Amino acid sequence: MRKSKLFSDHLVTWFAYLFIGLFGLLCLYPLVLTLSVSLSSEHEIVMHGYSALPQKFTLNTYIYIFANSGMRILKSYGVTIFVTAAGTIGAMIITSMIAFALSIQSLKYRNIIAFLCNFTIVFSAGLIPWYVVCVNYYGLKNSILALILPSVFSVWNMFLMRTYFSSISPSLYEAAKIDGASYLLIYWRIAIPLSKTAVLTVGLMYALQYWNDWWNALIFINNKDLFPLQYYLYTILSNVNAISSGRVPSGAAAGIALPSETVKMAVTVITIGPIIFLYPFVQKYFVQGIMTGAVKE
Amino acid sequence: MKSKKIQNGAPGPLGGRRKEFIREMKRNKGLYLMCVPALVVLVMFCYIPFAGTWMAFTDFNVVDGIFGSKFVGLDNFKYFFSKSSMGWRVTYNTLFINFFGIILGLIVPISIAVFFNEVRSKIFKKLTQSFMFFPYFLSWVVVGAIIYGFFSTDVGVINNMLRSMGLETVKWYAEPKYWKGIIIIASMWKWSGYSSIIYMAAMANFDGSLYEAAEVDGASKLQRILYLTVPMLKPTAVVLTLMSIGRIFYGDFGMIYGIVGNNPVLIDAVTVIDTYVYQTMRTLGFSYATAIGLFQSVMGLILVTVANRMAKKYNDGEGLF
Repeated sequence: MRKSKLFSDHLVTWFAYLFIGLFGLLCLYPLVLTLSVSLSSEHEIVMHGYSALPQKFTLNTYIYIFANSGMRILKSYGVTIFVTAAGTIGAMIITSMIAFALSIQSLKYRNIIAFLCNFTIVFSAGLIPWYVVCVNYYGLKNSILALILPSVFSVWNMFLMRTYFSSISPSLYEAAKIDGASYLLIYWRIAIPLSKTAVLTVGLMYALQYWNDWWNALIFINNKDLFPLQYYLYTILSNVNAISSGRVPSGAAAGIALPSETVKMAVTVITIGPIIFLYPFVQKYFVQGIMTGAVKE
Repeated sequence: MKSKKIQNGAPGPLGGRRKEFIREMKRNKGLYLMCVPALVVLVMFCYIPFAGTWMAFTDFNVVDGIFGSKFVGLDNFKYFFSKSSMGWRVTYNTLFINFFGIILGLIVPISIAVFFNEVRSKIFKKLTQSFMFFPYFLSWVVVGAIIYGFFSTDVGVINNMLRSMGLETVKWYAEPKYWKGIIIIASMWKWSGYSSIIYMAAMANFDGSLYEAAEVDGASKLQRILYLTVPMLKPTAVVLTLMSIGRIFYGDFGMIYGIVGNNPVLIDAVTVIDTYVYQTMRTLGFSYATAIGLFQSVMGLILVTVANRMAKKYNDGEGLF
């Protein structure tokens, strides 16, 4: 009896390792695949199909991309970096200010304001009225602001921040108020420095959202100079020939025919490169954010 | 509290309230000003567009504008549910994809959280969690590229596998019937790591002494999982599921478009309400598209209200919002 129980416990443990390990691999494998195809020779890929190890390792695809569309990609990188930076900073200022205000218990109308925020989650006018207003009244068609403004305030992130701010003891604020500090000063000098983790977490969430956004570009942007990286990738995936319509190829890459399979994966790698690079450093903040969001106040 | 307030303003309820309003605004001016930028964004992008929903009841044309165009009542809605339109089809697609998304979104993350808890090796935990969480960081366009790598007819991984097993290959991108399934699995792949963290957060708060007691009583690991962990995860699961049910009429535009894009062969099989609105906006006009969007919002509002009420009942008065 005792022995069989031990055996079943071992079985559970082994199964746990197997299950978690396999699922982890399932999540990792597509990325390895993408990376290795982008480093393979187009000829081999067409012959043998995609594989998790590079076939005839070569950087030709990347050389081809940068020779043909290097400027285009740099421009898209520029757009994405600008949108991500400006959007995240703007969003953080807007979000943290209202989150701080709503965390103050003595603010009488805070429930009304919170309701105004909440209501936008549960009911919306829909895409078309939103689009008409944005284009006809705010002039967002083909404007870089169209990539920033519509997503500059997320109610979810606001409530996440408010949860953090609410955990700061009000007596700290009272002390500062007695010394004559205004709420703006308290916010800037006390609340924000005490919530560094929250600021980082929510800031990174906004940054990820802006980095990965392509839907605003799909809706608003026709001008190729304003394509963010993700949307550029989207156009490459739907029409791979777009990559060769850059400037006239020169030098080493001139003679190479369009490596259409490896190009798709190489542009994908270029798009997610910074995320892969930063991932080890930022992962824990996202985990923290999810955990705080999950444990409701 | 409330009745007292009204008594205070007795001489002239309106005047009293206004005075109180002004006094409160003055007292907390700084705090209210800090709310202004966010409220401006909400008004611009959420509240002003509500006026535009009027288009749903008109035959909109640009010359006459939103309020000058001819009023047609519910015609746009009627057309949506007539036989000649895709109305039922897209509603069905939306509900189908979301329903199975919810089911998989329950089973897989909970299994991950439960089994992750049984893993002892720290390095193994760290590595696998990093792997499992990573898909959350990818945009749907990138996921679309990965799916292409798997399902491409000539070079894709799946067809390679079929070939090496001596089976016949499938022209995935020409067979609409597979794509609902592919999309549901892709969504599971992208979100499981994320959702499992929510369950792990819940498990971190569990009472360890319960497990010790169970162990002393001779309960096996499997019994501890089935009779302790899983029941204790139920409240979290219920809340998350109700949240998803509240949003069951909303499709994920980015997911559908990122994976299937404009592929005319596949799009009909997986078009959800959101993508249909986008398509009809360019073909059948703004009024009709607005009507579909409004139908979706109203259904969404009803379901969220119901889900919230259920959550309150289940959660001792604490709703979803």
